[in-house]
Amino acid sequence: MLENIRHYIPEKFTARMSGNTALFEVPADEIVDVVTKLYAVHSLSLKMITAADERNEHGCFKIFYVFFAPEERAFIVPFIALRNREEFPSCAPVIHKAWNYERKIKTFFGLTPVGHPDPRPLILHENWPADVFPLRKDFNGKERPPRAHGRYDFQRVEGEGVYEIPVGPIHAGIIEPGHFRFNVAGEEILSLEPRLGFVHKGTEKLFETLPLEKKIRLSGKISGDSSFSHSLAFCQAIERLGGVKAAERSKYLRVVYAELERLANHFGDIGAIMLDTGFNFGGANGGRLREMVMQINERLTGSRFLRMVNVIGGVSRDITKEEKGKLIEELRRIINDFSQVIDVAENSASLLNRLKDTGVVSHEVARDHGATGVAAKAAGIAHDVRADHPYAAYPHCDLAVATGKEGDVNARFYVRIKEVYSSYKLIKEALEKLPGGSDTVTAGGGFSLEKNAVVVSMVEGWRGEIVYVVMTDGQGDISRVDVRDPSFLNWSLIEHAGPGNIVPDFPLINKSFNLSYSGNDL
Amino acid sequence: MTLGILWTMQILCIPALSPLIIGVIRKIKAVLQNRKGASVLQPYRDIWKLLHKDEVISADASWIFRFAPLAIFAITLVVGASVPVFASFMANGFTSDILVIVYLMAAATFFVALAGMDTGSAFGGFGSSREVTVAALAEGGLLFSLLTVALMSGTSNVFRVAETIASAELTSMLPAFFAFAGFFIVLLAENKRFPFDNPSTHLELTMIHEAMILEYSGKRLALIEWASANKLMIFIALGANLFFPWGIAHDASMVALAGALVAFAIKALAFCASIAVVESVIAKLRFFRLPDVLFVSFILSVIAIGLI
Repeated sequence: MLENIRHYIPEKFTARMSGNTALFEVPADEIVDVVTKLYAVHSLSLKMITAADERNEHGCFKIFYVFFAPEERAFIVPFIALRNREEFPSCAPVIHKAWNYERKIKTFFGLTPVGHPDPRPLILHENWPADVFPLRKDFNGKERPPRAHGRYDFQRVEGEGVYEIPVGPIHAGIIEPGHFRFNVAGEEILSLEPRLGFVHKGTEKLFETLPLEKKIRLSGKISGDSSFSHSLAFCQAIERLGGVKAAERSKYLRVVYAELERLANHFGDIGAIMLDTGFNFGGANGGRLREMVMQINERLTGSRFLRMVNVIGGVSRDITKEEKGKLIEELRRIINDFSQVIDVAENSASLLNRLKDTGVVSHEVARDHGATGVAAKAAGIAHDVRADHPYAAYPHCDLAVATGKEGDVNARFYVRIKEVYSSYKLIKEALEKLPGGSDTVTAGGGFSLEKNAVVVSMVEGWRGEIVYVVMTDGQGDISRVDVRDPSFLNWSLIEHAGPGNIVPDFPLINKSFNLSYSGNDL
Repeated sequence: MTLGILWTMQILCIPALSPLIIGVIRKIKAVLQNRKGASVLQPYRDIWKLLHKDEVISADASWIFRFAPLAIFAITLVVGASVPVFASFMANGFTSDILVIVYLMAAATFFVALAGMDTGSAFGGFGSSREVTVAALAEGGLLFSLLTVALMSGTSNVFRVAETIASAELTSMLPAFFAFAGFFIVLLAENKRFPFDNPSTHLELTMIHEAMILEYSGKRLALIEWASANKLMIFIALGANLFFPWGIAHDASMVALAGALVAFAIKALAFCASIAVVESVIAKLRFFRLPDVLFVSFILSVIAIGLI
């Protein structure tokens, strides 16, 4: 493995394989050069920047820069160790993607990225004391810090007739809380700034303290509508650390469940996009189709949201032979139904007119912000973990990544439609190839986790790429879990999709992304 | 005696039946969308519920905020009593004039818009801005479509118009049909229905009418909701009795009145069905395309006048 990726690692550093990552330490003042080279010269994809408090074991904070090399399917992770200092050089001025990762490290670890253009905290609000850092090991998660009275400054736009619209965090509909600050001239949006963090739950801290069984449950609740994909990503990380091989049959079942989750959510989103234009027919049908899939989920697993289906080494629910035939037939009818709804929608000029050219995210913006999932595909970035780094039974399945060109609401709408059809094909294929008997859906036996390891696990959820970084300490206990929901990256696109549009189109634009607040706020 | 009863009916008809109209539209919409839908009486229950609720009024609100719902409701009562619903012989000389009706309604819009801005919330502000934009553009279409039938009948009193048009020959009705097309667009715009506004949306940023009244609660909200229902029914009554006045009672005989009530019920149902169909089959238009539609309404009315 190390031989293949030798050329990515500058010669003076020696890397060690740990879990599935190639780790090598870089002196702090050289990190920007090393990272920039990996990003710009080798065009590797930056999956995450994360920190860990290892002061007890190694007397330092570490900051990891997780890169993925798609050709070798390997993770290259340079890291820096901060001994007796709480500053590190910022990559954000050169790599825009690093922007929010570094803000998050500053907020949660109290390590300052020197040279970062935006010093404001992320996720934690002004009532959280500025000198309490929740992800440091010496912070007790059960203690309530004193209430602070800080300040948070929004961007301001001034000029004749320019006014501010504060929206949220409480909305007129039943949605998650988030605040949006618009600067508007007449009806045109000049700038738009989302302010999130209202559903911060201390998830990463909880991951360090809960027992393993509850960690799996927790991963399924990070973003309730991506329950299966999140728990799959976490279970795969643990399987990797524990050297557990998932049962062959369960790999195919994981494909089936993951695609059912995608189907349900895409139906819901396609309907909701139509509903937000006021096209009630489409809205009602989207909701109906989603419900049908949710009921299938409940019948198959006992949970409409596929909660607690993933376990270490496989899945907890099998699909019987009779159920298999029934499922294929049911899905065929649902897909047939869906294509009729889409036919009607495509004949509605008033609907298509609302979708086209609304909320454009250009290819460049999507690339620089590291957009992922539907938003990236709609802007012509054909990245999909299922194809780039296939997991479960995806290596044995046929998948064409759906893409669009314009990056507008219409393109995102159509990427979802294409993914609905490809999900149906994948489910059918996985069910037809399903190997083995029913008693082999979980690998048995005990396991112990690799020590001092860093493992990266990626899953293509229906929103996009879900990344888990799991680290263990010298005893083989999980010492740090960082979760990156696709929403964390895609929220920064909203700021670019809004301006130039009119205020009444914003709900539609927001819906076409349908990002998770909970997954972002953790 | 009979006339006394008839006048009571005329005055109460619109406020008593307007919530039913809203209920019927919602029911038809639900059926068209494969839903069961609430009972047609639900709007009555909503108003009843709101009338029993406490109000929260912003500390920054002035007397305009408190006074506006009463003004709006009162205006719809007066206008409601001054338009022909089932009988064409109950004209009054003061408020049944086309111009009085159009501008009384404009006064109601003016008060809602003021109240929307009164509390200083951003939503009320842009709601009022949008409402006034639409109202100003709709005024031309409304006035000219009503002027068409007024010119055709040589009077601007709506009861006389209904009487004259009812006896006009079908072949001379072409201008009225054109004017009606213009009028129907204004009906949708003034009552904040599709494709102008979505009366059932929860998305505060897309709202027009709902954004203005977002700060209202309890009894005042009930009055505003009720007044909006009245306004819709006034427009339906105008549309049904000025452009298609057939069946309207010309005298106080039992037969004529019963026939007129049935005729109005059928016509009102047809209006409800058309609104429900429009709201089920098309998407809402982009805000900046609304002037185009309203301009079409104005042009249609001008063509209608040219055809007389």
